[in-house]
Amino acid sequence: MYIYDKFDQTIVRERVAAFRDQVARRLAGELDEDHFRPLRLMNGLYLQLHAYMLRVAIPYGTLSSAQLRRLAYIARKYDRGYGHFTTRQNIQYNWIKLEEAPDILSDLADVQMHGIQTSGNCIRNVTADHFSGVAGDEIDDPRVTSEILRQWSTFHPEFSFLPRKFKIAVTGAAHDRAAIKFHDIGIQVVRGPDGEVGYAIYAGGGMGRTPVVAPLIRGYLPKAELLSYVEAILRVYNRYGRRDNIYKARIKILVREIGAAEFTRQVEEEWKLIRTTGVNLPAAEEARIRRFFAPPPYDTIAEPVASLTQAKAASPAFARWIETNVHTHKVPGYAIVTISLKPPGGIPGDASAEQMEAIADLADRYSFAEIRVSHIQNLILPNVKQADLFAIWQALGKIGFADANAGLIGDIIACPGLDYCALANARSIPISQAISERFADPARSAEIGPLQIKISGCINACGHHHAGHIGILGVDRAGEELYQITLGGAADQTAEIGALIGPGFKSADAVDAIERIVDTYLKLRQPGEEFLVAYRRLGQAPFKEAAYGRA
Amino acid sequence: MAVLNLAPGETPVARPDPWVLLADGEAPTVGAHVIVPFARFKVEHNELLAKAAAVGVAIGGADVVEELAPWVARLQLVLLQFGVFKDGRLFTSARLLRERFGFRGDLRATGDFIPDQAVFLLRSGVTSLEVGEAFPVETLARVVRAYSVRYQRALDPQPVIIDQRLQGNGA
Ligand code: SF4
Repeated sequence: MYIYDKFDQTIVRERVAAFRDQVARRLAGELDEDHFRPLRLMNGLYLQLHAYMLRVAIPYGTLSSAQLRRLAYIARKYDRGYGHFTTRQNIQYNWIKLEEAPDILSDLADVQMHGIQTSGNCIRNVTADHFSGVAGDEIDDPRVTSEILRQWSTFHPEFSFLPRKFKIAVTGAAHDRAAIKFHDIGIQVVRGPDGEVGYAIYAGGGMGRTPVVAPLIRGYLPKAELLSYVEAILRVYNRYGRRDNIYKARIKILVREIGAAEFTRQVEEEWKLIRTTGVNLPAAEEARIRRFFAPPPYDTIAEPVASLTQAKAASPAFARWIETNVHTHKVPGYAIVTISLKPPGGIPGDASAEQMEAIADLADRYSFAEIRVSHIQNLILPNVKQADLFAIWQALGKIGFADANAGLIGDIIACPGLDYCALANARSIPISQAISERFADPARSAEIGPLQIKISGCINACGHHHAGHIGILGVDRAGEELYQITLGGAADQTAEIGALIGPGFKSADAVDAIERIVDTYLKLRQPGEEFLVAYRRLGQAPFKEAAYGRA
Repeated sequence: MAVLNLAPGETPVARPDPWVLLADGEAPTVGAHVIVPFARFKVEHNELLAKAAAVGVAIGGADVVEELAPWVARLQLVLLQFGVFKDGRLFTSARLLRERFGFRGDLRATGDFIPDQAVFLLRSGVTSLEVGEAFPVETLARVVRAYSVRYQRALDPQPVIIDQRLQGNGA
């Protein structure tokens, strides 16, 4: 993974000092809250319902074991002993004191971490495929591109006061595990006409109250021209994105209002003027960054691995976990492990300090000291020997994270909702807990197969409900929390926005409605047909009827 | 009001300033340094450029700097008026004036901005700040020095990290 040199380290150190200065001025009254807000937001510090929340960047979801241990330490020292991994591959702490925030940032800087641009109207932490570098279907490692973008976007002099937040996601494979089409800019590594590596660029996607699947604005961009092209997009957005209404200020509204073709024309025109002005990264610097993402020293291992075969035969529960939570690695004899942070009845994405430390230990022992955070709010051990899987599974069982539910109905994305969030209309976490408990039986959830449920506590859609196969949106109707259900959303390369089935359900009824939808699917599916495929074949009608109990 | 110079590595200090912002309808005095809003300049540029010793134009975030381009060689000052400090359009306007249209005069920010934005302004080509009585000048002097390194090429002359790395200075 990327290791800071003295320049990167200097920036985060100086940032801590600058933020300490800002906090002191705020506490002394020199800065009013209105003018302090963007400054603290650019350090990831939010004022929530009960306390300050600090969001720490985990760039493109890559963590070392030492960094994860530091996150555990911060949870214990400054928070209530746990942290919350988010859909943007970050971690949030919910019980932070303003006065302590600079010390936390200092503790983070010790391990080359920060909260820079995890919030506010700026270019946010770049996200990427959590299987970067280890997925067999990858054309190029998206972490290289992401790190280039991280450095370019950090304290950008021109783009630190955008109309609204700006999110960039990168995938290195055709199979999109980073939901790039729901981002302000989505970048996909592709091969160009002559087989060389470059990018397809999507722009203007997003969730929120106006969900949009991003249109393709450039089918092929040479790799070396990434930064000038992205800068052209940002410049057009910074100048012409709406600033009169925060609900219309995202780039997706600009793209929609002037049309993708006109937006593209403006970007291309701007790009022509800046292509050769020194914005693009020199090849030598790209090569320097790339070296950090060289594969670790893998052993040569023949498959099948006998001990794995035997362990699977001996333990059906282990075999089920292998089926759901272990993914094919590009190197024979190795595997990618998804650690489900979704125990039935748990809070999606939450991990205690002890759990984080245990996972850091596993990474040291079995995965070249590296961990990934997925936007599905799970942790990943990316480089595990197949022969070690059984030991890892047993160790995960001891910390309550051995559930065989990755990608299944219990693997729910949920935003913090009304339990924490100042903007919420309804609680997300209890609904998520109730659903995961209802479908806790591993045999039943395996029978149901791949099914993504995503829950947001308000229309801001941090829980990605628009992209859920089943999406749940909390709304407030005359003081009562109601839950609307959408069906058919998808976050992958077949990205689609889910369609609302009708009026919302009371919280007690929502889980029953979900269960009836799932039962309808089981009844109507063809052999081997996944939920989303069945939904696309059958349309909404039978599921809607079932949800409202009319079937 | 005071005008502070803004230059890389220097403590911003107040300097005497000859510029006056003309009130609506107020005629320029012969030999004066006058600033007018862009809308007025578009109509009266001939007269203004003939009469005044030096002419500056005030623009806001919504003004399109391409329209100012034909005149930049004859302007001694462009005033960036921040209605709200969050109006990031003016950072782009500043860069375009410098990098694309070759403006060489004084690029001055005024209105609602905070000391912490000064580094971004400086890096976007701004060379002076107009500030009110309450503006924390001491804070400004501190925060303009907050960062000793930077990733992006911009309008301040300090070497950027990429160049220092290419020279082998990273480790
Ligand atoms: S979706 Fe709404 S309730 Fe949930 S975290 Fe986002 S803003 Fe808060």
